[in-house]
Formats: sequence, C-alpha cells, structure tokens
Amino acid sequence: MIDDENAGAMGSALIKVMSLFFIGIMIIAFTANPVSVGTGEGQRAPDIDGKFYNGTGWSDMEFGSYFNTSWEEGDINGQWVVIEFMDTDCPACQRAAEDYGSYANYFSVSNSEWNGPHVNFLASATELSIQGHNSDRQEIQDFRADNEHNFPYIDDLDQDNMGEWGIPGTPTYFLIQPDGIIAWSSPEHSGEKVSDAIFRLTPRSA
Amino acid sequence: MASNALVAVYLVPTLIGLFIVSPWGGLLTNSLKDRYPSLNSVRGQLLAGLQLISLAGFAVSAQTLWISSKISEGGSFCSSSSTFSCDDLLGNSKLNVDPFFGLSWGLIGMAVFALLLFIVFVLQQEHNHPMAERMISMGLLSTGVGVLIIGLLVSYELKEGKLCLYCTTAHIANLAALVGFFRLKRLYENNSEWNS
Repeated sequence: MIDDENAGAMGSALIKVMSLFFIGIMIIAFTANPVSVGTGEGQRAPDIDGKFYNGTGWSDMEFGSYFNTSWEEGDINGQWVVIEFMDTDCPACQRAAEDYGSYANYFSVSNSEWNGPHVNFLASATELSIQGHNSDRQEIQDFRADNEHNFPYIDDLDQDNMGEWGIPGTPTYFLIQPDGIIAWSSPEHSGEKVSDAIFRLTPRSA
Repeated sequence: MASNALVAVYLVPTLIGLFIVSPWGGLLTNSLKDRYPSLNSVRGQLLAGLQLISLAGFAVSAQTLWISSKISEGGSFCSSSSTFSCDDLLGNSKLNVDPFFGLSWGLIGMAVFALLLFIVFVLQQEHNHPMAERMISMGLLSTGVGVLIIGLLVSYELKEGKLCLYCTTAHIANLAALVGFFRLKRLYENNSEWNS
C-alpha cells in the first residue's frame, strides 16, 4: 500500500486558502449587487465619451450627470434619456430627424400636454464607413440647425461610442431610465417607435 | 480622498513584506525571532514575507473586485477629477476585465494571490515536500507572467490619464512576490541553506 505522507500539508493549505477565497467572494456577494454594463434592456448603459454641441460650442460630455442611481421605479421626478445613434449622411436618419425633433419638444416638462417625466434627448453623430459618408463637426452643427433641434449632438465621428454600444446600424434608439438602466432599445423592438416606448414605459402624474 | 487613503491598509503590509523578502529583511525580523522561531532561518523569513505580501495582494484584489461591483450598481467609490481616480479604470467595462475571457482583473488577482498563499502554506509546513521545487517555480512563473499583465494595465492607465492606487498596490504586491519567489528559488538550489 502506498501512502502520500505529504498530503496533509497540501490538504490543510488547500482548506485554508479555499476558505479565505470563498469568504472574500461571499463578502463581495453580500455587500454589492452588480449590474452588468451593456446595451440590452435591464443593463446599465455604457458611458458616452467625447465632445457635444449644444448650439453655442463644443464641450466635454458628462453622460453620467444625466442619471441618478437612487431613482426608484414610478418616481415621476426622475429625468429619462433617449439617445439616437445616427449619421448625418444616412437617408433614414435624415427622414427621422423631424419626428425626433418633435418628440424632444413633446416629452418635455415645458409641454403642458405631457404629464410624464422630462425626457432628455441626445444624438450621437457618427461617420459610417460607407462610401459617400464624409462628415465633420460643421456638418453636425448644420444638420442640427437645419432640423431646428435644440438638444445636444455628440461628436462620435471616430465611431468610439458606436463601437462600445455595439450599434448595428443607424438610426438606433435607446430609452434609458433615470437610474441609467436601459429600459428599451430599437434593436429589441424593431416594430415600435421610440415615442410609443416612452408612452408605454414612463410613469405619469394623475 | 478618504478612499485613496484607505489604500494604505494594503500598501503598508505589502511594503513590509517586500522589505522582509529583501536581502535586508533580517534587520526587521531580528527582534521578532524570539517570538516567532521560524524567522531564525532565511527560508522562514522569505516565507513569512511572502505570506504577508500574498495576503495583502489577495485583500487588495478583493477590494478592486468589490469597487468594480459597486460602480456597476451605479455607485462611486474613488471618483475624482484628479489623476487618482480608480473609478474611471475599475468602472470601465472594457478595461476592468481580461481581453480573452472577460474575467474581472480583481477576480484574477484574488485567484493568483490565493495560489501564492497555497504555495507558501505548503512550504511552511513541509519545506522538503516532493513538489516544493515545482511549486516555487510555479510561484515564480505566475508572478513573472503578472509583470506582463502589469505592463498591459499600466498602458491602460497611461491611455486614460488616470491612476488607480488600489491596482498599483496589487501590482507592487506582485512585484514583491516575484522578488520573494526569486530569492526562494535561489535558496532552494543551495541545499544546505534551504535545510538550515
């Protein structure tokens, strides 16, 4: 019969280390409740980097400042966010621009007809890698002015944000709750307009 | 600022461990030899230093995993507009996981330092264990690979223009463990010193 005389050393070391490892994991599990970051519904929206144009100049984008992580479902005071990923040279985006602008005006606290929360509209303008799609900041500014939009346009000409969000094509829309969690996305609801999603998902005052 | 000061809880034991595994470690352990007889040998000193480093490295890795989890909840831990903002790195979903399997760097750190602790515990109990040489080589190899990973993570920090002090402490722990295992390997090759 062969005995491993040194098994005791390994066994007790293994018990000690495994205990320590699982205690560490359990402490993390009990004290944190992580939400995965991604673009699926129920996931935390990834960050948006870059400069945005608000009609006067280009400034650093602080996407996180739109959200309040302590917001609770049903609270009408929280501000929602809709972001459109678009290209100023994309015909579908050009056709959608008028509607998108009218939604921005309608879903606002300054509109007495709307009894829901304020919805902040954003547009992330990219330059798709397609022949004939050449864009720059001046074109973004002109597109915004031509469509009489009053919401920020983000410079994503390098496709950084588009890549991080995994955008399949333009235009693509996301409706984000006040706590930064994605409530609706157009790739998951191809038959529903973003305006209908806002009506369906946001709370209303009595 | 307080969150950045908290890093001292991990950094101080790491630096003490690094000093113990350095050639001047005897200066620190001499006064403790009466209470801890294992420190009478160089092997005992190195293993004690490595135990301290591995424990601190494990704890700081667990802390980075916890910070990543809290940020994903929507909270913040060490967000700052200054260079010392670990939230910008630990909360970045592209940078806080390994590029191949998508595992959190914090979790990988915990696993590696747990492995180092396992090696240290075995050698403390049975320094002539049949697998002692292989385990020392494994410790040296894993901390050596860790240096390459540190290079990658530091490149992320440079790219973002931010410094994560918790990550840096884990990096220092890895480098200190590399020094410890290197000296342990040299000691093992000298049979008389290893068994003294």
